[in-house]
Amino acid sequence: MNPTDIIRAIQENIARVIKGKPHVIEMSLVALLARGHLLLEDVPGVGKTTLAHSLARSLDCSFKRIQFTSDLLPSDIVGVSIFNRQKQAFEFMPGPIFANIVLADEINRTTPKTQSSLLEAMSEAQISFDNKTYPLNQPFMVIATQNPAEYHGTFPLPESQLDRFLMRLRIGYPSPEEEKRVLDRPQSLHPAEELQPLLTAHDVLLLQEQVDHVLMEESITDYLLAIVQSTRQSDLLSLGVSTRGALALSRAAKGLSLVRGRTYCLPDDIKELAPIVLSHRIMVARAQGLRQRSFEQAERIIQDLVDSIPVPV
Amino acid sequence: MPFDQALRFASIWLASTSFIGLTLGAGLPAWLAVLTGAALIVALLGNRGGKVVERLATVTPISTSGWNLLVIVGFLGFWVDVLWVSGELLPAGVHFLMVLMIIKLFNLKLRRDYLHLYAISLVAILASGSLTTDLWYLPIFLLYLLAGVWTLLLFQLTKHQEETRMFPMSVTRRPQLPASVGHVTSQLVWLANGLALATFGLTLVIFFTIPRVSAGFYQKGFGDNIRTSGFSETVNLGAIGPIKRDPSVVMRVELPDSSRNEASRFYLRGVAFDQYDGKSWTNRLNYRRSVSEDATGTYVLRGNRSHAPPLLGETVRQTILLEPLDTPVLFAAPFIERISGKFPGVQSDLTGSAYLPFPSSSRIEYSVVSRSNPVLPSDFDSEPSLYPESFTRHFLQIPIQSERIAVLAREITHIHRTTYEKANAVQTYLTHNYRYSLDAPLAEQDQPLEEFLFIRKTGYCEHYATAMVMMLRTIGIPARLVTGFLATEWNEYGNYYLVRQQDAHAWVEMHLPNSGWIKMDPTPPSIESAGSGSSTWHALGRMMDTIRLQWSRFFVQYSAADQLAVVRELKAGSTSARNKALDSMSAFFSPFMAMLGGITEYASQGTIQPLVQVLGPVLIGLAVFLWLGIKRPWFKRMVCKKTPRDEQLIVQLYGRMIRHLARKGISKPAATPPFEFVRLTRERWRDAGSAVGLITELYCRTRFGQISPTREELSLAEDHLRYLMALDKP
Repeated sequence: MNPTDIIRAIQENIARVIKGKPHVIEMSLVALLARGHLLLEDVPGVGKTTLAHSLARSLDCSFKRIQFTSDLLPSDIVGVSIFNRQKQAFEFMPGPIFANIVLADEINRTTPKTQSSLLEAMSEAQISFDNKTYPLNQPFMVIATQNPAEYHGTFPLPESQLDRFLMRLRIGYPSPEEEKRVLDRPQSLHPAEELQPLLTAHDVLLLQEQVDHVLMEESITDYLLAIVQSTRQSDLLSLGVSTRGALALSRAAKGLSLVRGRTYCLPDDIKELAPIVLSHRIMVARAQGLRQRSFEQAERIIQDLVDSIPVPV
Repeated sequence: MPFDQALRFASIWLASTSFIGLTLGAGLPAWLAVLTGAALIVALLGNRGGKVVERLATVTPISTSGWNLLVIVGFLGFWVDVLWVSGELLPAGVHFLMVLMIIKLFNLKLRRDYLHLYAISLVAILASGSLTTDLWYLPIFLLYLLAGVWTLLLFQLTKHQEETRMFPMSVTRRPQLPASVGHVTSQLVWLANGLALATFGLTLVIFFTIPRVSAGFYQKGFGDNIRTSGFSETVNLGAIGPIKRDPSVVMRVELPDSSRNEASRFYLRGVAFDQYDGKSWTNRLNYRRSVSEDATGTYVLRGNRSHAPPLLGETVRQTILLEPLDTPVLFAAPFIERISGKFPGVQSDLTGSAYLPFPSSSRIEYSVVSRSNPVLPSDFDSEPSLYPESFTRHFLQIPIQSERIAVLAREITHIHRTTYEKANAVQTYLTHNYRYSLDAPLAEQDQPLEEFLFIRKTGYCEHYATAMVMMLRTIGIPARLVTGFLATEWNEYGNYYLVRQQDAHAWVEMHLPNSGWIKMDPTPPSIESAGSGSSTWHALGRMMDTIRLQWSRFFVQYSAADQLAVVRELKAGSTSARNKALDSMSAFFSPFMAMLGGITEYASQGTIQPLVQVLGPVLIGLAVFLWLGIKRPWFKRMVCKKTPRDEQLIVQLYGRMIRHLARKGISKPAATPPFEFVRLTRERWRDAGSAVGLITELYCRTRFGQISPTREELSLAEDHLRYLMALDKP
């Protein structure tokens, strides 16, 4: 099977669980293929966890879920050393982070210390514990969720750490028809449990490698850089997009090209991805209103910027 | 043939003609000529199928930067050539030009490359034009002109083609394009060739009327002059012999006033010699004085001569076209009275010979009026008389060893009384008792004259003439040896004598008290020098030579003065001008007409056989190649190939589509990427959606994916665009 068919099969597989959200499914696959991590930001109960769960199920990968609470400790994520009486030595017990897909539920509810232990693992793809380095499983993808509606008892992630996520997605409420179909489904079983795995972890690695071979024509790279540059020069923003952000956009565009069955990037890819890849990496200037973690506002600013930049022809 | 293919073909044709011109004119080194020829052939084959070239390009792994490197290497080679190999700028430049042409021929992709090739070809043809004044340049130049017109037309047409792609005509006239557009039609063939012809006609008019600055800059150098012998101040006996087999043309002599007499032999006098030392002749009267020019530009030689007899003989007017020789002697029938021509000056010596100040390095044309000395009645019965010492010192000088000759001379002449009879007796004796042969090895002998007269009794003109001069002198008749040419080859097409090296001749002039110097020739008419005029090949050769003469006369030698005359007459607007123009036209074209007649005659004689024998196999080979080729898959692949232009084509198609949509009110904002624009269009103009989608997809795949569209996809895209153009927006 060629990559396009595989990817389409996975999309259809997940779509059987997440009704009416093909875009979100597509983007989560892009994040997976681009070796990125996903931040889902939405109100509770719209299927964030289900999305992560069904993605993991479709891939025949190990899946762990960590419910972040205010009293969660780094060792609850990374693992602990336990004294083994037989061997008379400390033994490392790997934590839930040693899985292919990790769901970090309500990541903003835990303390920055715990958050940072996760984020380190995300960027380094390894864990250092007791002067020892433990490589994480490959593929490794963190799907974090956070609830923007609640402020009490939360520890918002700083921009520098948000930068580690490839993209930030919103799921949104399903349409009434889709919602009705969700309700009509038998409730006895978690919907994601029905799914059959379509890919092995090794297949995912192969697909990730293919992303590297997607062609990005020079004029498109220039276009991308023009967008990144505009965020740095905009008056509306107090912090522009970093080089890591530009790299992320490039990788995401390549991933999207592969998901859409192309071997080359289009300006469309860049334009489509720019809001969701860049909006969590910027800081909206105070003059533009309260410094709130307003998803909509940042996205709109990015969208406006992109709409002002000429596309290569 | 589609335009782009025709353009390529015409461009290579253009390059080929200029290359041939340069090869013939400059004498390229063999390896460079072969290399360029091979490049041209490869490029020409590439015209039929890009695959061959592509395959070659893959075999020779040279990238664009590699080619650029080659150009730089070539340029360095050019300097090496200038400084050490050729040592001169012009040949080195020509070599470098050829290298550039080869490189360009392998890189004929963009329109820019074509322009470069044209520039190189132009420089090449200009260079070859300034390197030569020969006749072969004319057909080459005509071919070049024809190719030039074709390439210009096709270049413009393909440009036009591209522009119409970008700026389409009104929609109502669309969807169907005439099938002939983009192909070479018969009308175009007529137009192009007619245009070339008209250009040539116009060029002729301009050539004859517009003032010119100068003639060729790079005329033949001195080293290229024809080497003559027998006209220097000292000539060894037997010097003329070796050149008697050289057929190269020395001059052409026209006799405007007299029509040709079949049996006539025309003497062209060069130099006279007075002193003989037993082995070689020397001219001691070689003091040259400049001849003054009169108001009409004519140099008058005679009349100033010390021993001038009354002018009684008949005059002969000649127009002589002299090839560049290594001697400054001006040849003409004896004896020169007046010379006119474009000379820096004319000198004459005391024997009545005329010279240029220095040998001419280019072909010169001059007119001469000569007057021969008839034998006056009073001399028929005059006996040998006494001459002043200053005269006898020169013309009665005898080398010491000539006793046997004197005895022989007296033996022959003692029964005759008068000078004239004695001289005739000597001449008759020599003519009848000696055999003419060029094989006589007399030059190495110690006493060549005795060897000739008494032992071998075979020799050629110099021996005859020397023997006669010596015999006349021993019996007291002043005589001298004259060298020159004896013209026998009459060209009936151009009405002139063709004089070759092998016509070099030596004869005798003897002095009669009243008549002056009289020409005598003891040499019997040789079989070898008699032109075998009956042969068809010789006739063809004479025709070719006629054309060569006309070429030289009307084009190479055409000067500002001639131009001035034409302009004056044009100004006068008289009918005479028109008549003269017509005359000169007919004079120019009559040899062609004669040649045409000759060819038809030649064909009717059935002697066309050898031509058929040569052409037949070539034609058959060509036919076999084509027949085999059509059957083969590689040939088909050659015919329907993919050009790199396909990519440009789809980009142009997309551009046309965008402009068309803009006219329909759906303009593409700068910040809208292609597929977003497709959605936008689809929302506003549903019917156009599929066409726009398809073209956009192909465009993006080519533009951003760098995947070339296939021919089918291209034609599909073109169909969709046509459909879109024909569509009415609601």
